[in-house]
Amino acid sequence: MKFTGGYNILPDGKPDGRVTVMPEPEALFLPLKSARFHFSELCVKDGESVNGGDTLAKDPDNFDVPLLCPRTGTVSLEEVEGHIVLRDISCKGESVWEADDEEVAHIEQKVGAGGLKRFKMVSLGAWEYFSDAFSGDLPDPLSVPQAIIVSAVSLDPFVVRGDVQLKNNLSRFTRGLEHLQTLLKYQPIYLVLPAVKSDFASKVRDMIRGYAWVSVIEVPVKYPYDNLTLIARKLGLKRSDGPVWGLRAEGVLAVDTALTLTKPCIERIISVGGPGASHATNLKLTVGYPTEAIIKEYCKDKPVVTINGGMLAGSDLADGGRGVTSECRGITFCMEHVDREFLGWLRPGFDRKCYASCFMSAIRIPFSESYSNAVRGEDRPCVSCGFCEDVCPSGIMPYLIHKYLYADLIEEAASARVDLCIQCGLCSFICPSKIELSKEFSDAIDLIEQEKEEERKAAEAEAKRVAEAEAKKASEFEIMES
Amino acid sequence: MKFVYRIFEKVRPTFEEGGKLSLIHPLYEAIENFFFAPAAVSIGAPYGRDPLDVKRYMTAVIIGLLPCVLAAFYFYGLRFLPMIIVSYGAGFVVELLFAIVRKEKIAEGFLVTGLIFPLVLPPTIPLWMLAVGVMFGVCIGKELFGGTGRNIFNPAIVGRVFLALAYPSQMSGEVWVKPGHGILGRVLDYVTIKTPTGPDEGVMATVVKFFSVNADGVRSFFTVEHIEAITSATPLGLAKKGEFIDVMRLAIGEVTGSIGETSGLMVLCGGIFLLITRVANWRTVVSILLSAFIMAFALHQSNPEKFASPTWHMFAGGLLFGAFFMATDPVSSPNTNGGKYVYGILIGAVAMLIRNFGAYTEGVMFSILLGNIFAPVIDEIFFSIRIRRLKNEE
Repeated sequence: MKFTGGYNILPDGKPDGRVTVMPEPEALFLPLKSARFHFSELCVKDGESVNGGDTLAKDPDNFDVPLLCPRTGTVSLEEVEGHIVLRDISCKGESVWEADDEEVAHIEQKVGAGGLKRFKMVSLGAWEYFSDAFSGDLPDPLSVPQAIIVSAVSLDPFVVRGDVQLKNNLSRFTRGLEHLQTLLKYQPIYLVLPAVKSDFASKVRDMIRGYAWVSVIEVPVKYPYDNLTLIARKLGLKRSDGPVWGLRAEGVLAVDTALTLTKPCIERIISVGGPGASHATNLKLTVGYPTEAIIKEYCKDKPVVTINGGMLAGSDLADGGRGVTSECRGITFCMEHVDREFLGWLRPGFDRKCYASCFMSAIRIPFSESYSNAVRGEDRPCVSCGFCEDVCPSGIMPYLIHKYLYADLIEEAASARVDLCIQCGLCSFICPSKIELSKEFSDAIDLIEQEKEEERKAAEAEAKRVAEAEAKKASEFEIMES
Repeated sequence: MKFVYRIFEKVRPTFEEGGKLSLIHPLYEAIENFFFAPAAVSIGAPYGRDPLDVKRYMTAVIIGLLPCVLAAFYFYGLRFLPMIIVSYGAGFVVELLFAIVRKEKIAEGFLVTGLIFPLVLPPTIPLWMLAVGVMFGVCIGKELFGGTGRNIFNPAIVGRVFLALAYPSQMSGEVWVKPGHGILGRVLDYVTIKTPTGPDEGVMATVVKFFSVNADGVRSFFTVEHIEAITSATPLGLAKKGEFIDVMRLAIGEVTGSIGETSGLMVLCGGIFLLITRVANWRTVVSILLSAFIMAFALHQSNPEKFASPTWHMFAGGLLFGAFFMATDPVSSPNTNGGKYVYGILIGAVAMLIRNFGAYTEGVMFSILLGNIFAPVIDEIFFSIRIRRLKNEE
């Protein structure tokens, strides 16, 4: 596979390989909304006591993906808006999935043995780890994918790494892969590993040596080559040939949990790190774990910005609500920019890493930089330096699309394939004119989608009108005839 | 630096909306942001940003020009200082006027234009002419198109072409001063082509009478040291007559020419710095030099008597300076990488054609202007190829 573009930034606060188990919190705040899901169909009542593994709510738009109850406790619906709050928590009584035989038989009869497995994955919370590699949406559990991409690499600084997820879990990982294979007929599973020599990578290779149906793909350790959309595209997979399921290492473990142990997947490992973190590490916790407690424990006292995900592609943690969402892979603390630096652009800059080697840091060996959320410059018109095209992994021309969008030429932007943007954020990161390219692009993609949707609706309405008119005509004709 | 910031805080209301001097807010803003990085923070992902901004980007070009600037002081003396000041001053006035009228910010592009412009002129150019040239270049070549980032021509080249066409006698002929040499060169001289001017003879006579001192001593004390320039033809001018100067002398800078292009080695020093920092794109530079070299080589092979050797062409005149500092201007050169090759080949080939067959002795300036004209067309072609290729991507 040939990759283009990409760029590694190295902020301070890289998480170590250890996993810390977080202490049980007083209450869990389960957000009803996350980036992909909106659990609008509530299954519990206020004040009801629930067991770990129970379904609290469902997302009717996403194949009834459940919001599982992580612990035994009492539900409170009114306390915080947009959240289900779980109080009086205890670890006891975590239920193993036990549908009665009759129901199982019923489901099996309806959807077959493979369907039962899929049903189990959805209802035990493993399905939310899956995403369609092209669109990023939740795939249909009953669909047949043309391929599955399993990525054990994560390069966004900093979200939890694949080797941290898989540590001591390698046998479960291979078992999960086997389960995945049983869902397929002859379609391939691509396993993405980093192209570096490490004990971990060679161990994984040893484990899957016998599996002819797994083809290993090695990607260079350069952000964002771990992106599932990018890998699917580089593999030459076509959207029209059916969905491509993408999942990461933790997803395979979840599949194993759901299908071998038939237990709900409620434990999660996320990373905490970044320049503002007092101690960068990985945390084992459940969905709904109060973010306040994490911030209190792992954040320096300085003003920081908390990011849900990595520095380059994450989102504001506060937008996600008060608890860790099911899609959170890491929390990054970035320094809040306060000082206005005196003559910053004239400094030699031994401590600031620059893509274009315009600072003295170019003569240093790689080092980690303490990033703040400052834009570090004034916004200017594009000077056509071409750095955005150099780093773009999708092979589009960000500066050209920017110029089109600046002139409101949406159609031209669409033909320059703004939709290929994978929102890695590198162009915005690098731009010396400080143009918010990736935000512009995501807005443009939304606008184009919206226009398409409207067109589709208009066409439908038109077709309906024509059909009605014809029916009316026919009926009038009939009346006349009679 | 707290106290400096406090001063800014204090005077800021005067320049903001409703203040007495709100008209020149762009000027205030430019000065404030010159000293203190703006407070803006990123609104979404990515949260950190690369430290490079346009100020630093332009500063890198200025650092790249430093060897040429230092060499200019060495070769042509102190007169270069007022030239730089006039160039910056006149360019800045135009920039500021446009910023006020448009209610936009002052962009940093003129920092480079203002320094490049005196470097591409003959050392004896009258200062008022330099001011007219830079104003014309910035106004017509850049601001009319919408300012830095939107211009199609390199403003410095527009200004120089304007001067070359409007004032041919001050831009060619007996204007080329022999560069200084030795340990100090002309570092302490002020070179003009005027004869030395001394104090008024009437005043002189009174002074001599009053103090009863030696007249010659007074005269030499009060006479401003105007060194009369020894002019001579440029190597390109000599080449038209079939006389080729040794390449080593060209590289070191023992020959006449525009201020910045005198020493090929100095241009190379700064130019390579620009390539390393990625501020200048290597594709443009390499393709210009390579196409010029191949063209010159072919001509030289056909008739060594008439056409100079390719290495001679590399170091003679403004080819190196143009290739490293003027053609690489990212705004006026093509954006696509493929386009940069085509653009470079065009410039190199046209420059060699003008030099060897044209009426003008130097063709780099015109060839870059021609390249600027073609750049959008070249880009359009490469864009359409790229977009066609992207069409079938998933």
